[in-house]
Amino acid sequence: MKATFPHLLHLDVALGILYPLLGIEIVPPPPITQKTIEIGVKLAPQNACFPLKVTLGNFIEGIEQGADTLFMAGGVGPCRFGYYGQIQRLILEDLGYDVQFVLIDHPRYGMKAFLDALRSMAGGKIASLRVIKAASLAWKVLRFTEDLEAQRRALRCQVEKKEDLDRIIDGAIERLRNIESVDDFSIIRKEAEEALASLVRRAHQEDLIKVGIVGEVYVAQETRINFNVERILGDLGVYVHNSVSTVEYVLHTLPLLRSREKLEAWEMARPYLKRFVGGEGIDSVGSAVRYAKKGFDGVVHLYPFTCMPEIVAKGILSTVSKDYNLPILHLAIDEHSGEAGLVTRVEAFVDVLERRKKRRSVTEVDVSWISS
Amino acid sequence: MDLFLGVDVGSVTTKLVLMDKRKSILASCYLRTSGDPIHALKDGLRYIKKRLPEGGFIRGVGTTGSARHLAGVVVGADIIKNEITAHAVAAITRVPEVRTVFEIGGQDSKLIVIRDGIVEDFAMNTVCAAGTGSFLEHQAVRLNVPIEQFGELALQAHQGVRIAGRCTVFAESDMIHKQQLGFGKAEIIRGLCEALVRNFINNLATGKTIEDPIVFQGGVAANQGIVQAFVDFFRGEKQIIVPPEHGVMGAWGAAILAMEYVGERSAFQGFEVVERHFESRSFTCEDCPNSCEIVTLTEDNEVKALWGSRCGKWSPVTVKRKMGEAQEKKPIFESGEGSCPLSECRVHD
Repeated sequence: MKATFPHLLHLDVALGILYPLLGIEIVPPPPITQKTIEIGVKLAPQNACFPLKVTLGNFIEGIEQGADTLFMAGGVGPCRFGYYGQIQRLILEDLGYDVQFVLIDHPRYGMKAFLDALRSMAGGKIASLRVIKAASLAWKVLRFTEDLEAQRRALRCQVEKKEDLDRIIDGAIERLRNIESVDDFSIIRKEAEEALASLVRRAHQEDLIKVGIVGEVYVAQETRINFNVERILGDLGVYVHNSVSTVEYVLHTLPLLRSREKLEAWEMARPYLKRFVGGEGIDSVGSAVRYAKKGFDGVVHLYPFTCMPEIVAKGILSTVSKDYNLPILHLAIDEHSGEAGLVTRVEAFVDVLERRKKRRSVTEVDVSWISS
Repeated sequence: MDLFLGVDVGSVTTKLVLMDKRKSILASCYLRTSGDPIHALKDGLRYIKKRLPEGGFIRGVGTTGSARHLAGVVVGADIIKNEITAHAVAAITRVPEVRTVFEIGGQDSKLIVIRDGIVEDFAMNTVCAAGTGSFLEHQAVRLNVPIEQFGELALQAHQGVRIAGRCTVFAESDMIHKQQLGFGKAEIIRGLCEALVRNFINNLATGKTIEDPIVFQGGVAANQGIVQAFVDFFRGEKQIIVPPEHGVMGAWGAAILAMEYVGERSAFQGFEVVERHFESRSFTCEDCPNSCEIVTLTEDNEVKALWGSRCGKWSPVTVKRKMGEAQEKKPIFESGEGSCPLSECRVHD
C-alpha cells in the first residue's frame, strides 16, 4: 500500500512522520502549484468549492507519483466539506482510477466506521503503544510548524531582513521532514528558536498595525491558494495573527481539549450567532469579536467563493464591524481570483488602518497577550 | 517653484495632474490608455512638460491606478499608491465634509466610506465588473450613440426601461430584447443608467450606511444620466457632488500623496523618459510546475523591473541572461508579416 493525502499548509510534514511510524508507506503529494489547481478545476464540478478542487488535484498528483490509497477526512453538517470525500471518490472512480479511498470520519459520527478506517489505514494490526508514540511525535511536529508560522506572521513586520526570517523557518520545516525521533525534533526546535531569537528587530513596535485573520479553515491557512495574504500584509508592515489552525481544527472535535482561545471566541460569537451554521461560521464571527476586544486594528476574512457558512458569517460580521468600529476586509478566493485585485484591496485596507491609527493618538491597545 | 506630479494609469484612461504646493491643479490631462500605458504615459508627460510654469520643478511624483507599478518605474515615483486611497485623498481635499465617495472607472467601481476626514471602510467590485464605464461604452457603440451624448439622451427620456443589470452579458441581451420590443434609444439608455446604479448599490453598498454629501467621481461621473439615476435612486434626499475635476481625481490624489511623502530627493526620472524606449516582455519560468509568467520591463534594453516571480528567484541579472536565450528562439508569429491575420478585418461602419 502506498498512501497519499491532501495538503493543508504543513500538514504533510506531520503526516509524513505519522504514517511511516505506523508502518504505512506514503507518497506525499507534490506541493500545490498552478498545475495542481488546473487539474482539480478541470475534473471537479464547476460549482464545487475551491478547496475540493485543490485537494482533488493533490490526489491526482499523488496517484501519478504511485499512490494507490487515498486518505481523506469526512464530516457531516451544513458545510459541504462532508461530501468532499464522497464526491472525490466518485470522480476518481469515473476516471477509472483503481485506488482505495479511505474516508476518516470523526468518531462522533460512528465509532465503528472510524475504527474500521483506522484499521484499514494500518493494514489490519495496530499496536497501541506504537500508535500513541507515532501520534504524539506527529502532533508535536504539527504544533511546531504552526508555531513557526505564527512567529513568521508576528515577526515579518518587525525584522530587519525578511529573507533571514524565511530562511530560518523554511529551513526548519524542511529539516523536520527527515526526523526519526523525538530527539531529532528537539534539536531542530531548539536551533530554530535560537535563530529566531537572534533576529534583529526594528524599534517602534508599539505602534504596529495589528490584523487578525478569520475564515474557512483551508483558505485561511493555505498560503499557496490565498495568494499568501499574510506575506502581503507583513511586507506592508502589519503584525498578523491567524485564528485558524489545523491544530485547533483537530482539537475542537475533542470537547475536553478545546483551547481557551476557541472557547472564548465561541462565547463571544453568542450574541451574534447562537446556532451552528457549519464549517467555521461561528469561529469567524467569534474570532473577529475577540480581535476587536484585543485591540486589533482590523480583520481579514478569507473564504472560498460560495462557501455557505462563511457567507452567513460575512453577513453577521458587518454588524460586528459596526458594533466594534472594526474594519473587516472580506476576500473570497477561487480559481478565478486575480492577484492584482487582491493586492489593491489589501493595500487600501492597510492604508485605512494606518490613517485610523494615526487619528487615534491615544493607544488603548493591550499587547501583553501577543507573546503568549 | 515646487510642483508635484500625479499619474493615474487605469485600464481605459490615463490621467496626469500637475499640482502646486497649495494643492491646486495647474494642468491636467485625460487620455485613452488604448492598451498601451507606456505610450499614453509618454503623451501625458509631453503635455504636462509644455504646461510647466517658468521656474517650475517637479519635487515629487505619485502613481496610482492598475498600472501604478509600471508607471512608477517608468516615471520614477516617490510613492506608488492603490487607487482607493488616492481617490479618497482627493475627495477629502476637494470636499472636506465628504462622507461617501462613489467612484466608477473603466473596469471597476469603488464605494468609500469617509468619517471625519478619514477612510473608515471601502468596497471595490468583486467577482464581476458589470456596471462600469467599459460596459456603458460598449453599449454606446452598439446603440451608435457617442458616449459623450449618452447622458444627455438619458435625460431626455420620460421613463427608463427596466433592464436586468446584474450581469453585463445578460444586461446586453435584455437590452436588445427591449429594443426589439420597440423602445427608443433614450429610454433604453436611461434604463441602462438605472441598471448600472442598481448594480453599483447592490454590489458595493450592502451592509454599509450611505451618508451624504456623496462625492461622485471617476470617468463615469461625466455622464449626466448616471448622476440623475443616482439622484433618483435616493429620491433626491441625498446631496451628490460631482467635482469639476471628477475625471482626474485619482491622479490628483497621487500628487497630494507624493507631496505628503516626498523625501529629500525625488525619484522623478525627468521628462526625458519620453525619449527612452520601454518594453515589456515575458517568459514562462518552467523550473517548477507553478509556471510563473515573469514579466520584465526594459528601458533601452536594460531590465528596470520584473514582476510575477512567486519564489523570488528572478533578479534583473538572471532575467537578462534568460531573455538573451529567449531572443534566439523567436516564436513563429513574430516573424511573419502582418502578424495578426485579423488585422485586415473590418467591422461594418
